[in-house]
Formats: sequence, C-alpha cells, structure tokens
Amino acid sequence: MGEHASDAMCVEFVVEKTLEGLGPASPVKASHAGETRAARSSFPTGTALRVNGLVVSRRMTEPVVDEKAQKEAFDRYVVPEIEVLYRVARSITRNPTDAEDLVQDTMLRAYRAILRFDGRHPRAWLLTIMRNAQINRVRRKRPELLRDPDAAMERLADEDSADLGPEALVVEQEYDAAVEKAVDALPEKFRAVIELVDIQGLSYAEAAEIIGVPTGTVMSRLHRARTRIRKHLESSGAYVNGRPT
Amino acid sequence: MTVRRTWGRRNRPEVNCREVGRVLQSYLDNDVEEDFAAKIASHLEACKECGLEVETYRQIKRSLAAKMPEVDPDAIARLRSFGEEITS
Repeated sequence: MGEHASDAMCVEFVVEKTLEGLGPASPVKASHAGETRAARSSFPTGTALRVNGLVVSRRMTEPVVDEKAQKEAFDRYVVPEIEVLYRVARSITRNPTDAEDLVQDTMLRAYRAILRFDGRHPRAWLLTIMRNAQINRVRRKRPELLRDPDAAMERLADEDSADLGPEALVVEQEYDAAVEKAVDALPEKFRAVIELVDIQGLSYAEAAEIIGVPTGTVMSRLHRARTRIRKHLESSGAYVNGRPT
Repeated sequence: MTVRRTWGRRNRPEVNCREVGRVLQSYLDNDVEEDFAAKIASHLEACKECGLEVETYRQIKRSLAAKMPEVDPDAIARLRSFGEEITS
C-alpha cells in the first residue's frame, strides 16, 4: 500500500518576525522524513532560531490522514472478517459480551493502523491485533496471568472444571456430550487449539497468529490435545463405531 | 493445505502401521502430500487396526466440528454498525 507517505508528520517552520522592510515570508514546510528527523533533532519544537535576522520557530502539525483511503481499506480488509473475528473472540473469551468488546477493540486498533497494513493476509493481521488486544485486557483483569501464562491458564482450567466432578464425566454416555466434556477438561493451551482449528476451522497458521506461537507448536498441541480427548473418552466409556474408544 | 510433508517416503510403494501412526493426525488434517496420502489411504483399507484408529479420530473431529456455535446475528449487526460509526 502506498499510503504511508500521507501519514508522515509535517514540520512547519514559521517566520514570526521579520526585519523591517523585508516583509512577510512564506512558511517553509519539510515533509520529507529525513528532513523531519534532522529538523527535530537540531531544532526542537517550541524553540526559536534567528536566521539572518529572522526569528523562526517550529511547530508540529497533526499527521495528515487520508480518511477516504482509511475507510476504503477498512471496508476491504476488516469488515469481511467481522464474523470470523467474533467467532474467534467467543472461543478465547468464552463470553459473548467480552467477545463483542474484544472485537470492537480489535476493529478500533485495526482502523488506526490500517494505512500501515500491506494488504497481505488480512485475517492473520487482524488475529494478531486481536491477540494483542486480548493480552492487554487480561493484563488489566488478571495481572498474574502474564507472568506465567501457561501455568496460570492450567490453574484457570482446573478452576473451570472443578465443579464438574469425576462422576459427571464418567456417567455421561452420549458421545458428543462426552467429547464436549473432554474438551472442557483440557488445559487451556490445548483447548485453545482445539477450539480454533477443529471447531472454528482456522488453519494451523491462523491459529498460530492468534495464540502467538509457531505453527509447529500449534500442530504439536493439536495432536496432543486430540490424544487427550481420546483418552478422556476411553476413561468415560464413550463408544465410537460400535467399539470402546 | 499450508504445510506439506513428504517424510521422505514419496517413492516407496507401501507404508507400514508405525509410519501411519506417526503421520495420522497430519493425514486427518489433509496436511500430507497427495501421493503419500494415497498410500496411507491404501494402507487404511487393508489394515483394520489402523482403519479403526483413523476412524476414531475422524469421529472426534466430526463431533468437534459440529460444536461450532451459532453466531448471534444481532451481535454481528452491532459490530457492523460499530464499523460504520468509526469510519464515518
């Protein structure tokens, strides 16, 4: 995308005083990034400089944003992904209200950053934004989760499944219900890949973006998670294809 | 299909149970090369034990895929309106 230049900070040099008889001078604009950096370092905002008898000050102007291009890019890359974003948000928040808030947060962040997006793999880009937004939300709500996320998530999973009781898991004979319970009993890092890949239908790579791990880790976790589900079904006596799993 | 693995077995006529067990999950996710997948499929037809093993995991995958929750259309409509608000 070629919109980067429109986002550049403009530096405007303004002649504040002129020597008598010289008359007003036009402001000099330096919008080139190199000039901007040089001007910033050698001539900070708020200072004044006397040049050949002229008193010159510098002020920063607001970034120039091409709102039309911003809206077009948002409509092209973000709007078609809203439903997928909501589904993923439902998976990672497990709460419809939080999911909606998370998608709104993601959309706002995407809108602000859309002119710096190169247009490739919008879903992966949005999932990365969503992941960062979710990390910030978790940090605000449960700061301990950020110190050791895996251990903390396992503890949370234990808290979540503590009220199910082993009897309830064993007694349930209906297959889908048993699978659901097996998924619920998984540690968070395994449940997340099952939710994203096997339930929501994301690719390994897309799941890797949202979780923030390499694709190979997603595959490994997914395979281990399915094995755990199978073992869970065995222990609960669920049947598949006319035989115990 | 984003990642394909040949596992160095492309030119071998057959695969054994051990090899099938090793790539079973990738096979279920359509993540092995087409010709190798064909060899696995052929093995699965001939080997009852491996066939049942794959079917067990297929059943789990089918059950999981059916769990995809219905999305509340009102929530999607609200999010679309939100998108229109921030771009207007």
